[in-house]
Amino acid sequence: MIPEPAYIAASAVITLILFVGLDLFWKLPAHAGVSGTETIEREIEADGGDRCGGWMIGNIVTSPDASAGTLVAACGYWIWGVPGGLLAAVLIFIGARICADKGYAAVSGTLLATAVFWALDTFAGFPPETFIAGIVIAILIVQGVSPKRVSRILGKLWRRCS
Amino acid sequence: MTELVLAICAVIAVYAALRAVLEKNTAKKLPFVTVMNFAVTGVIALILPHPLTLVAAAAYLIGATLEANAIASAMEKLRGEQT
Repeated sequence: MIPEPAYIAASAVITLILFVGLDLFWKLPAHAGVSGTETIEREIEADGGDRCGGWMIGNIVTSPDASAGTLVAACGYWIWGVPGGLLAAVLIFIGARICADKGYAAVSGTLLATAVFWALDTFAGFPPETFIAGIVIAILIVQGVSPKRVSRILGKLWRRCS
Repeated sequence: MTELVLAICAVIAVYAALRAVLEKNTAKKLPFVTVMNFAVTGVIALILPHPLTLVAAAAYLIGATLEANAIASAMEKLRGEQT
């Protein structure tokens, strides 16, 4: 019997890799996607952070990206299984369009997260509610501890990937 | 299990709210507010598991993101006018 915190820690790591990977794939650290991202990036850079990491954090704040998609997919999967994940994809696409974003990162994040959650639930026995705690912890790590330090790590990751 | 997940989300929401209140710079408040919004969205879904709750939780998250977008855009516009 695996203890409950171990499932939550594992889902936090999995969702973190999932949404950071997708955000890097959709080039969120490359430029400011929507209006207002520049302000957040400038403040993080003035504080000693990294420019590319600041853009990524700004993009996450100002429009629904893969992390928002993963969270709504986690809620949808817990409430209604795979159909909940698909409903989440529709809702998050509408949300991204409202925020003047094209919505590629958000919708792909929602669909991929639903598939990953289904696989982990079916084959690895993860309780569905662990994914909600996992993505909330993952976003806390990226945005809520030290945006300056995290932006440097994200910037390094982006330069290595590109 | 649900109680543990709910407790984690609630604690993170309170922590992020405190960080946002203590941070003096408005633009730097926004990442903490985003963390709080994520945690509150999780709490909404966990408290009342129903397909309509999913719509409510998504509407809350999208609305909160739009607010952050509006604040940051307004700050950008103000900066443009001042310089």
